[in-house]
Amino acid sequence: MNLRMLRALAICVGAVAMIAGSARAQDAPVKIGAVLSLSGPAAVFGIPERDAIQAIVAKMSSTTKGGRKFEISFYDDKSNPTEATRAVNQAINDKVVAIVGPSTGSGILAAGPIAQRLSTPLIGPAGTLAITDPKNEFYPWIFRAAPSDASDVRAILQDMAKGNAKKVGIFYQEDAYGKTGVDLAREVGPSLGLNVVETASAPYTATDLTAQATKLRNAGAQAVFLQISIAALGSSFVKAARQVGLSVPIYANAGLAQRSFAENVGNEVEGLRIVSIGNLPYDPTPGEAELAKMLEAAGKQPQGWGELTGSNALMAALGAIDRQKGKDITGASMRETLESLCDFDKFARGRVCYSAKDHDGWHEDALVITEVRNKQFRSVP
Amino acid sequence: MIHFVEYVLRGALAGAIYALLAAPMSLLFATARTIDFAVGAYALIAAAVAATIGGIAGAEAGLAAAMLSAAIMSLIFVGLKRLGCEDGIVFALASFGLSAVIESFVLWYWGARSFIVSYVAASWSLGGIRLDQQGLFNLLIAAIVVVILHVVVRHSSLGRMMRASAVNAVGATLAAIPVEGLQMGVYLAGGLLAGLAGLLVLYSAGIDFTAPLGLTLSGFGAAIVFGVGSPLRCLFGGIAMGVAQALASGYLSEALSAMTPFLFILLVLSMRPADTEALAGGRP
Amino acid sequence: MSFVARRGNTLVLAICVLIALPVVTRNAVWTDSAALLGIYALLALSVGLSYGQAGILTLSQAAFASLGAYAAAICTVRWGWPPLADLPVALLLPALIAFPVARLVARLSPLATALSTLAIGSIIAIAIRSADDFTGGYMGIAGVPSIGFVKAPASYAWLIWAMVVIVVFLYENLCHSAYGRALNVLRFDQARAAADGVNPPMLVSAAFAISSSIAGVSGWLYAHYISFVSPESLDAHLSISALLMAVVGGAEFILGPILGTLLLDGLTRLLPAAELQGVYYGIALIVILLVARRGIFGLIEGGLAQVRQLRRSRSGEVTALEIEASRP
Repeated sequence: MNLRMLRALAICVGAVAMIAGSARAQDAPVKIGAVLSLSGPAAVFGIPERDAIQAIVAKMSSTTKGGRKFEISFYDDKSNPTEATRAVNQAINDKVVAIVGPSTGSGILAAGPIAQRLSTPLIGPAGTLAITDPKNEFYPWIFRAAPSDASDVRAILQDMAKGNAKKVGIFYQEDAYGKTGVDLAREVGPSLGLNVVETASAPYTATDLTAQATKLRNAGAQAVFLQISIAALGSSFVKAARQVGLSVPIYANAGLAQRSFAENVGNEVEGLRIVSIGNLPYDPTPGEAELAKMLEAAGKQPQGWGELTGSNALMAALGAIDRQKGKDITGASMRETLESLCDFDKFARGRVCYSAKDHDGWHEDALVITEVRNKQFRSVP
Repeated sequence: MIHFVEYVLRGALAGAIYALLAAPMSLLFATARTIDFAVGAYALIAAAVAATIGGIAGAEAGLAAAMLSAAIMSLIFVGLKRLGCEDGIVFALASFGLSAVIESFVLWYWGARSFIVSYVAASWSLGGIRLDQQGLFNLLIAAIVVVILHVVVRHSSLGRMMRASAVNAVGATLAAIPVEGLQMGVYLAGGLLAGLAGLLVLYSAGIDFTAPLGLTLSGFGAAIVFGVGSPLRCLFGGIAMGVAQALASGYLSEALSAMTPFLFILLVLSMRPADTEALAGGRP
Repeated sequence: MSFVARRGNTLVLAICVLIALPVVTRNAVWTDSAALLGIYALLALSVGLSYGQAGILTLSQAAFASLGAYAAAICTVRWGWPPLADLPVALLLPALIAFPVARLVARLSPLATALSTLAIGSIIAIAIRSADDFTGGYMGIAGVPSIGFVKAPASYAWLIWAMVVIVVFLYENLCHSAYGRALNVLRFDQARAAADGVNPPMLVSAAFAISSSIAGVSGWLYAHYISFVSPESLDAHLSISALLMAVVGGAEFILGPILGTLLLDGLTRLLPAAELQGVYYGIALIVILLVARRGIFGLIEGGLAQVRQLRRSRSGEVTALEIEASRP
């Protein structure tokens, strides 16, 4: 280190100390970035996530419960990992101390190394298992804001195991979400007495799923498990199942728990069971009802659980800010605080505790099994 | 065996949609030597409007919306032509632009939700295979449309004018053929057909804002695979792709079944004799 | 003198890079953008070679890039190869697939060729995402190491743009070689080229294979720079974007694709994001095509030609009729 650098460092330290000492530092709003999928296939969740964050920020007048001003800026990751890295870079350059997002698992995996290099934690509202894999070099910097895919699949398969079906057919969409679900179901199923006898898949834009339904029917499936996040595919499949005479109980993973699915598909889905993260639109807990009210005040109709996972991530960030009362907040201090954050203010159900060993935080108690009745997802007690 | 027949039947019915999306492409190629890559977007906007309004009025409004979008494309086409563009690929790329506009507009106006209507068609049993009337209806519509188009293109004076416009626009103009008007008309007809395809997708499955590119490329494949020249080949192309897809998803692993339509395209194309057009300098 | 004149594009690019990069790398976000833009520019250049020179309208370049990216990821992460040892694989693998495919389809009409490139691109993408144990399936491969000596984003920006300059240099050499001239004849008249003793399918296939190698290099840089590849990283949308970038800049001009990349990517940065981005982007694209049908470079060339004609006409060398005829 040469003399010039040393001097520069001294000036910096001095400046930081001065700013920290003055009262104004506490008044300057803490900046948070939200990198969400506002376009592309993951917008199904990215847009509700943004809507919820905006509604909450408006309701709180950009001030945390502890009285600290904060400021949130939004970036679009376009459902694409490369764009996620660019957005995260941009957000950190804009001096945010924590980032809500990116929305997709691959976006988080791509942005993880940047978060680590630039010391800013990511709070990701995605279920993808790999994002909190301790083997990742950037593990310390990633926190999850939703139950993992493993929790979702286990919850819905446990419900399925209560019925009489032993032979399960799976239909899934051809993407990371779809494939993870199938792999997990194959892994978890046998321990619950469920045997996966056949699987079938289709791309997002398939217009006809009768061949897939026929394949599952021919394999003698006694129940069908849907691993889909595109509601149009779900509708297409139930229509196809009815047409080919595949009349067995249908269970779906959380991806399909969307208002546009429940309200527009006809009677053929009556009794279909879906695991959901909370039940914001139809059977909310008091906390969820509060969020639903904020959304309605902002002119938005609750769509499903995207709002809840978005709010989870934001509330975790705000919780961490409030735990650092009177201190200077940096990316590193946010990370440290998040790692011991427990029982903070939030809207979703379930008990959340992050720790150095558990960056998942959310577990199966955040989930609820629902049943489609009368074009609504009703919680099953 | 019965299963095999069932897959073939279901695939053929599914292929009707591809044929409907392919027909406008073939028609436009026959008239203007270009491709409209926005057909998937026309289908989406038709379905979105129809699902929002509902009923027969909705279907009509949906078709109108699709035609309006196609009208915009035809204006872009004319604008490019007036400015001196003759390169078919530039028109095609501009249609990618319009497709992006429509897809993004739908996302902004309707949000990320899927367009679904609950509509239960009666079904018939055919030797133990249950077929939806909706599926048969789709195939019937596709067949009627394609046959009409074929007759118009091949056996009417309008069709002769269309083909003349494509082969030699200057010559056609000199022969008092309203080349530009014809080509605009074909864009509009393409919007109508794609809108129809969108409605059929809406009623038999469901559609969302991510659909346009996939629909366009399916139609593109069906239009080209047996030769782009004739609407009739679109029908066969669409049905062949549908059958290949259905058989693959019935019998093959997921990976192979996803690859099948593309392998099928490569196979058919590699068996085709060399295009005289390419030899004669038809490359851009 | 002729060495310089024949490498004008390379010189211009090298000078621009030398002037711009030191400024750009002062800002972290710009540095990152510069690196990614360089990667996209390579991809667009590969389209320029394939479409602008050989006439193959390609919709598979992103798939070739992902072959390069996965080659890098698998060699380094799975097999522990030393840095740079994976570069030959990233170069050769795409070419080995592209060449036979092009041999099969190069004789077809342009649209049929485009469709087959779309098909081969999709097949590659499906094969990659289906080979779970090998490629990590849909999850992809994280933790791709840096290229040894290159670690910081700024060094990556330099490395990537150095690659772009090298590729442009080779591209320009190719254009001035006998092969390049043969390709140019081929583009306008295949029968004439065949009569001249050129083997059109062979030549076109070779050009397509080289173009796929360029895409492979861009993927190789991507994997090492981002350190993560998944099937979504370099998807079919990117193939279309690359084509648009090349055409917007001017596919037949050597530097056209690079200019198109800067312009289109710059637009997506400047235009408001979120749901309506596609509306702005689509309209901008249509307007650009309306204004510059042969790409920005075509527009500049047309303008220059007119100015030259005008000068000559002032000195009385050409008639007004000739000026009229020279207008695009």
